[in-house]
Amino acid sequence: MVLQVFCLPLKAEEGGQTPLPQKGALSQRIVSLSPVLTEELFLLGVGDSVVGRTRYCTKPAETDKIEVVGNLTEINVEKIVSLRPDLVLVIPLTDPRAKQKLRSLGIRVEEFPEAADFRGICDSFLRLAGMVHKEKAAADLIEKAKREVSRIRQETGSRQPPAVFIEVGADPLVTMVKGSYFHDLIEFSGGVNIAAEAVHQLYSREKVLAKDPDIIIIVSMGFDGEEEKRIWQGYPGLKAVRQGKIILVDSDLFCAPTPVSFVHALQGVEKILHAEN
Amino acid sequence: MQKIKKRSLKWIFWLLVLAAAVLGAAAFALSVGSAGIPFGKVFRILFEGQKGIERSIIWDIRMPRLLLGFAIGGALSLAGVILQGMFRNPLVEPYTLGISGGAAVGVSLNILFGLHRIGVLTMPFSGFLGACLVILLLYGLNMKRRVLSLQGLLLTGVMINFIASSLIMLILALSRRESLQGIIFWIMGSLDEPNAFLTRLALGASVLFLVATYFFHSDLNALALGEEEALHLGVPVERTKRLLFLITSLLIGVSVAVSGMIGFVGLVVPHFMKKMVGCDHRILLAASFLAGGAFLVFCDTLARTVIAPMELPVGVITGILGGSLFVFVLMRDNGEGR
Repeated sequence: MVLQVFCLPLKAEEGGQTPLPQKGALSQRIVSLSPVLTEELFLLGVGDSVVGRTRYCTKPAETDKIEVVGNLTEINVEKIVSLRPDLVLVIPLTDPRAKQKLRSLGIRVEEFPEAADFRGICDSFLRLAGMVHKEKAAADLIEKAKREVSRIRQETGSRQPPAVFIEVGADPLVTMVKGSYFHDLIEFSGGVNIAAEAVHQLYSREKVLAKDPDIIIIVSMGFDGEEEKRIWQGYPGLKAVRQGKIILVDSDLFCAPTPVSFVHALQGVEKILHAEN
Repeated sequence: MQKIKKRSLKWIFWLLVLAAAVLGAAAFALSVGSAGIPFGKVFRILFEGQKGIERSIIWDIRMPRLLLGFAIGGALSLAGVILQGMFRNPLVEPYTLGISGGAAVGVSLNILFGLHRIGVLTMPFSGFLGACLVILLLYGLNMKRRVLSLQGLLLTGVMINFIASSLIMLILALSRRESLQGIIFWIMGSLDEPNAFLTRLALGASVLFLVATYFFHSDLNALALGEEEALHLGVPVERTKRLLFLITSLLIGVSVAVSGMIGFVGLVVPHFMKKMVGCDHRILLAASFLAGGAFLVFCDTLARTVIAPMELPVGVITGILGGSLFVFVLMRDNGEGR
């Protein structure tokens, strides 16, 4: 009940379209082993049926009242069982032995593969909503997200598309190829991902120099973004360096693939790509 | 006569102490955990038949883990004692001979090709298959004119381990992120085995092999003097070496296939036991088995409680606790020797 009250401002922020949780649908006790799924359960308005989470499930803030049952990979089966869940949501990274053990104890375990792109995010969101009988709320949220996406696509479609290199890992250099939501973010906001057709996420600096992108976006996830920026600035021949378009972004902007955060991220990327145009 | 009686008393004393250690470790393992079931209640639940979530936690989660820990700890220590006795080399341990490396490659290939989706039992099976291949290879390479060369066994074993770890690195480089995770999990070793059949298999095999090794206790004592001396004492050296090699290999193969690589138990426990109960294999075999079982159960319980609700890999605890304890004892003994 307390959580429900806390949920209200959040939903108001989303535009107030989410219907209030119905009493009958809240019978489930869910343990979520994925930060994304935890966040999505709160988006769907069933945050108060989440009885267990990982250490990294910190969004929204209400999650801090939920018991921690492990980190992403190592989970405590005993703790989970003692919470008497009727549904445990896992990801491919979850310890396979733990998943098997939970299943053998008769607990429903549902695995959610990491969503690759915007469509995957929406499908996964709908599937989750089906499990907590919130299909309508999910459909509404997705509808809203899609409207915003097409608005941005239309708006940016007429402009000159900048070539973008997105860096998500340094040493070795890692980028995002077609079929990832990073790629979608760039293309939807009217940019061209220079690594779209690459076979592998590993990319060489040489190729970046050859393709000479207009913008380099560095999403620092566990590496020193400032240092990377300095390295790029050592190549004054790059268009992005000459125009001062090496941009560091907070990984939080990119790293929560729910339909709602996708739109937030898209708005952020749109600003970066069309800052001066 | 007096001497023999005194020795028997000493052995009985040690067996009782070790049995108490096993029971103590078992009680510790059953009564602590993140579910926070009170100590007294645990034993009521153990002996009464009431249904409920707490009973399930104790019988379905803590108990299988305790049994598997005992079996694997016992098996690895037993294998360690036999190998150190046979090779007359204090540095030999169950993972020296490359058998574990073979198992690891087997499991990694299984994960890389996604065979584990066919059934859960393919994982330990492919591990055991890898282990058996290495055993055959070791045996074939070192059997010359009906003589099993121990020196050669050791060297090829170490080399096979190197090759195996390179192969695993290659597999890791080739695999996707999810597979990567699975392989690393497996290599770290865990006693959290969901399959009851595998737990029973490991327990049965380790006890069976303990009994089997008792047929060789006097041969092992003789081999400790050297192969030639043993031959003069009337020990069928070649047959003994072959059978002991097979027994220990299978023990290692089963342990590694079921629970992954849990280091240090097979090296440290035999050394400790030699210091405590002496080098006579009549007592050393059983003592190492019990001590290894108790040690691993204790370490595993620590591993799942120190940073609860998260869990540490049990190898972290066995390595740090066993290793530092061992260095401490070694230093103390050296000090006394001076």
